[in-house]
Amino acid sequence: MKPFAEWLAQTAPSLAIQNHEWVIPTIQSIHILAICAFMGAVLMIDLRVLGWAWRDQGLPETTARFGPWVWWALGALFVTGVLMIVGEPPRELLAVSFWMKMALVAVAAAVHATLLRRPAKPLAAAAFLVVVGVIVLGRLIAYDYVWGSWSTWLKE
Amino acid sequence: MDLAALPAWLEASALATTIRNSLYLFALIESFHVVGVSIVVGTVLVIDLRLLGLASIRRPFSVIATDVFRWTWLAFALAVATGVLMFVTNASSYWVNTYFRMKMAMLVLAGVNMAAFELTARRSVATWDRDRAAPPAGKRVAVLSLAIWVVVVFLGRWVGFTLSTTTAPGNDEINLEELENLIPK
Repeated sequence: MKPFAEWLAQTAPSLAIQNHEWVIPTIQSIHILAICAFMGAVLMIDLRVLGWAWRDQGLPETTARFGPWVWWALGALFVTGVLMIVGEPPRELLAVSFWMKMALVAVAAAVHATLLRRPAKPLAAAAFLVVVGVIVLGRLIAYDYVWGSWSTWLKE
Repeated sequence: MDLAALPAWLEASALATTIRNSLYLFALIESFHVVGVSIVVGTVLVIDLRLLGLASIRRPFSVIATDVFRWTWLAFALAVATGVLMFVTNASSYWVNTYFRMKMAMLVLAGVNMAAFELTARRSVATWDRDRAAPPAGKRVAVLSLAIWVVVVFLGRWVGFTLSTTTAPGNDEINLEELENLIPK
């Protein structure tokens, strides 16, 4: 992964991002705004399964209302996420937090897919907590030293 | 107590020292700040789109408000608690940071905007509760709210990018590029 990250950091798109200081914080801000839209929508679906919100609507109505927002937010998260990787390849690709986040994103997708097929309250609570975990790991990319020797091993 | 001495006092507290000396605490606090912010802004978005008549239009506004606002406030409490902890940790740096001050001003504006809603459109909610959208006063509040929260998120990120523990008031001869490398982003 290290040679790839180093190669990517020398490509024209990466250099273009690196040469403008405002680009990375701007992309990060848009990424967080997409997380907000995503979180609001997913929270409502999870709360509907838990019976803590949207109780006058069925689950199909609730997912019809919030599903598109989940997908659009995911699209924005993917695009801004890729731009952040291109802009700062070693920071992302050589971070333990980043790969743990990607793994947890897959878990979140699987849990929510199961939840929509077989709605169950404990699963809805778990699904929400997995999303919280994804957000936490995302922020920890900036503090990857918290993983100690794992983090240094990945950077070698 | 002298207000100007408050940041230094906070920063010297045992709580601040504990967070600064920990490898994990600040990172975790900041992570849960983002979790809180995402729920606050995400739920406010649901309300604002309803006011504008862009989503959830078949449900009465008051029902959505009851459904959503308790989570907004719960998450806001989390964001404030984690925000206070981050502030305390490096109080004097936040205190003089322009983006931090702008963010606080925007949060006050968000509060004023909400108060304006309570005093105008919300008072007559019975007359438009089932309408597709809120009356103009409610729509204005919703547009302003969306704009404010987008700016708050941007400013929050800019605080993280400009904050350093070594900046002091009146000291503007600092090599920003050198400091840049010291700040986790």
